[in-house]
Amino acid sequence: MKKSNTALLFLYPLLVFFSILTLVPFAWMICAAFKGNADFFNSLFLPQGDGFLGIAWHRLTFANFTKLFGELGMLRATMNSVFLASTTALLGTLGGAMGGYALAKFEFRGRKWMTRLVLAAMIIPGPLLMAPGYQMMYHLGLLDTYAGMLLPTIAPAFGIFLFRQSILNSVPMELIEAARIDGAGEVRIFATMVLPIIRPMIGAFLMITFLGTWNNFIGPQILFQSPEKFPLSVAINSLKGVYGQDYGMLMAGTLVSIAPILVLFLLLQKEFIAGLTAGSVKG
Amino acid sequence: MFEWLRNFSLGVWAIVVLAVVSSIFIFTRPEPSSNAHAFWLFARPHLQAYEPLIAKWNGEQPEMQIKPLLLSLPAMERRLFSGFMAGTPMADLFEITQIVTARLISGPVEDIGLRDLTDLLTSEGLSDTINPPSFSPWMLRGRIYGLPHDVHPVLLAYRSDLVEEAGIDVTEIETWEDFVRVMGPLKRLDGKSAEDRYLLNIWQTNTEVLQVLLLQAGGGFFDANLRPVLDSEVNAMVIATIATWCTGPNRIAIDAPELSASGNALKMRGQVVATIMPDWLAGVWKNDMPGLSGKLKLMPLPAWTKGGRRTSVMGGTMLGFNRDVPDKVFKQQWEFAKFLYRSPEIAAEMFRRSTIIPPDRNLWKLPVFDEADPYFSDQPVGRLFIEQAPNVPLRVSSPFFNAAIEHSGQALLRLVEYANANDVHTIEGLLPKSRELLDGAQQQLMRDMQRNVFMREDE
Amino acid sequence: MNKGRTPAMTPWIFLIPFLLTFAVFTLYPLTQSFVLSFQQTFGPRSTVPVGFENFRYLFTDPLFWIALKNTVIFTLCSLFVQLPLSLGLALLLNRPELKGRSLFRLIFFAPSLVGLVFVGMIFSLIFEKRTGLLNVALHAIAPAFPLEFPWLQNYVMPALVIAALWLYVGFNMIYFLAALQTVPDELVDAAGIDGAGPWDRFVHVTLPHILPVAGFVVLLSILGSLQLFELPFVLLGGSGPENRGLTLVMYLYNTGFVTGDLGYASAIGWVLALILAGVTIGQRALSRKGEE
Repeated sequence: MKKSNTALLFLYPLLVFFSILTLVPFAWMICAAFKGNADFFNSLFLPQGDGFLGIAWHRLTFANFTKLFGELGMLRATMNSVFLASTTALLGTLGGAMGGYALAKFEFRGRKWMTRLVLAAMIIPGPLLMAPGYQMMYHLGLLDTYAGMLLPTIAPAFGIFLFRQSILNSVPMELIEAARIDGAGEVRIFATMVLPIIRPMIGAFLMITFLGTWNNFIGPQILFQSPEKFPLSVAINSLKGVYGQDYGMLMAGTLVSIAPILVLFLLLQKEFIAGLTAGSVKG
Repeated sequence: MFEWLRNFSLGVWAIVVLAVVSSIFIFTRPEPSSNAHAFWLFARPHLQAYEPLIAKWNGEQPEMQIKPLLLSLPAMERRLFSGFMAGTPMADLFEITQIVTARLISGPVEDIGLRDLTDLLTSEGLSDTINPPSFSPWMLRGRIYGLPHDVHPVLLAYRSDLVEEAGIDVTEIETWEDFVRVMGPLKRLDGKSAEDRYLLNIWQTNTEVLQVLLLQAGGGFFDANLRPVLDSEVNAMVIATIATWCTGPNRIAIDAPELSASGNALKMRGQVVATIMPDWLAGVWKNDMPGLSGKLKLMPLPAWTKGGRRTSVMGGTMLGFNRDVPDKVFKQQWEFAKFLYRSPEIAAEMFRRSTIIPPDRNLWKLPVFDEADPYFSDQPVGRLFIEQAPNVPLRVSSPFFNAAIEHSGQALLRLVEYANANDVHTIEGLLPKSRELLDGAQQQLMRDMQRNVFMREDE
Repeated sequence: MNKGRTPAMTPWIFLIPFLLTFAVFTLYPLTQSFVLSFQQTFGPRSTVPVGFENFRYLFTDPLFWIALKNTVIFTLCSLFVQLPLSLGLALLLNRPELKGRSLFRLIFFAPSLVGLVFVGMIFSLIFEKRTGLLNVALHAIAPAFPLEFPWLQNYVMPALVIAALWLYVGFNMIYFLAALQTVPDELVDAAGIDGAGPWDRFVHVTLPHILPVAGFVVLLSILGSLQLFELPFVLLGGSGPENRGLTLVMYLYNTGFVTGDLGYASAIGWVLALILAGVTIGQRALSRKGEE
């Protein structure tokens, strides 16, 4: 026991050091978001002055944010991001749970092949489909539409795989059979019995998909052409071209894009991490 | 049912609520009105200058509303491409630069989405009144695809306060060699890199300035028949010279990028003595660095040889028209274009706001161009640029323009690496390697050109 | 009214969303991309068949080789710098007696919630010459460090690796932590009583236990690194000087969506897919060998 106590003595400074390295870019970004351009260059973090703690608090400003949401209409982009991420998460989770349920709890011809197909679909690299996908979206008339972004995501192979694992492990077959004998319909069984049991995986996959969609850049960058449809990732990056000198505003935009994710993560933290690791330990 | 709802955690319901709220927001918000003519621009100063006149136009022409939209250049380029090639929503009018134009005209002729303006320009006599070099970037195969917005002649801006304090007489400067020698005393390398000072804002990674200097020297990328000429002796000399500026004991260059806050900080701190300055950049400086007012002056660019060209050209914008617009509607758009580009009020307004001189030679007589400009120590800035406008070098537009810039830029980068690795820091010493690298760049460019089946057809 | 029996159609109904989206948005583009890779295009409308020309040209294309080289360098750095750091952090945190463990875990994990685009935005300012946080800080600590240090001009790869470190170390740490929880404490303690040092305990007890997960993390991080795109794209606003930040997927994006040659882009995509398939098969073979 003694030995581990001395080890802990070295451990804390080390961990604190790494924590600082990790947090500095965040701190820097947050400070920059509240500074004007002059202070951006004259001070690394908060501008120095004769205020409390030697910091010129009065020089901090919300101007960057008012400009983002007023003049530049970032509310629109924020809403687009929220819309895309939340609907993708809900649809993808539903489709994934449905597919996973079918593969886990039904005996039918072709089940083995379907499972293999899902696994195969998981490893097809996205970039390979970029060019022909664009061409196809053009022919389907889905370029520059929300549908073009949402439709391909309603039944993700990765989700089906995760839900299959989770249902195999946690939903007892007897429960389903008993319900069938009671005359419950298949949809009802799925919605009222299966889904509640796998709620940790539902939370996890919702968060995984929400995060993935929120941070997706390349997809909307290719698909969307009208700025009123841009999600935050694309909108903030396109500010860089026109407002490249407004460093404070760029960082304010980045902060606005990151903050909601952090909040949602705090709500779904446990499930999210469990879901992430579920694929690795059992896979 | 309520029991069932309680099965899911707070985070899950948060996502559901978000989905509902955002869907309502998105599906009830008004669609942007589509009958206005979309006008895409990438330059903020242009938009600022146009806004009052567009408002005036929209007030007088209710059936022909113009709706300007500011976009970053890469975004606009991507969207133009997507619009021309895949039919996504697109602008009716757009201001674009040479690189974008060159790309838009790189496919099969029938796929060029820009309207051919050649005949219209001739029949309305515009090809005579507009400064001839201004057409060259917008031409391909003898056809003109855009209405030139500008001339963009280039001068040299220098810190007159520092120069006068050091007792330097800039009239002694005729060539770049003179520039390095005469300005030499201003260099300050005291070992503290936060306070050092360099003579010229240029860097081996800056392909834009590289192109300016190549064109000034009479070099460039393509001959009149669009054959690549990267490997010319002039190009080799210019690249070797720039390499000696950027590294070694005789370094005079500093990397202070334009349109960048960090680059501007260097200029404000006086760490940059001189900058290669097109007319538009003068306007950008006035807006972004008011603190330099009265500390700057302009002079013609130093030449590459005695008696050589004292200017060059940097950047350039044209107004392009969507080919798919019906002729009748195009007529209206054309009227708007001339209203915007040829009116003396706009020319004066554009100059006051962004120091850009018009390509229309009839407008050069306007008194606004002779006004003393306090920012540049009361020099008649417009006149200085206009004096050089007829001497602006021609630029040929090729679909492979971008590749040519890239390959020659790489040659310069490699030459600087070579100079460092072998400790060679004279122009003569670097010339053989410079020729070799440009030769390689030329070969690469030829390969790129060979590959494009769409261009091969019409050879 | 089938009592206790499922109609044969039920599973297929549950699978309809997958089957439809797979057919339309994966299978069809996949076959299309095969066709496209033998064509030259100017946008989706104009196409010309060119036979094997795309692949033939690809192997002599200097840009392709630069992209491949950069991508491989980045992947190697992920493997040999990032993963050991993640494992190290996980080992540090894997002590039940450590106070504030979940706080540290949250801190280290936080960057992975930030999308690549936003990381690119933040770091493009941090890496600026003379005014960026990194150069200013390094110059303050060691005055010999030049303020003008050109991260985004000459040291593009190190810059990318640093940004990726910040982003991914905590993410992979989570996997390792989960794996470490499965190592029975008694085993480690027993080895300690037998007089094994910390290193021996790690190599002989802990490592074999976490090997399957480690294999998975290695695979994931190779596959992810080989598809690197957003980070350099935003950080450099393109491929950077002399294409020092050009990656395979960025080259694919540029040829397909900037130059408009979807055919050549597809050819690049297929070469990338073959590399990924090779890596996956190799990793599975290795891990099977390890299990025996």
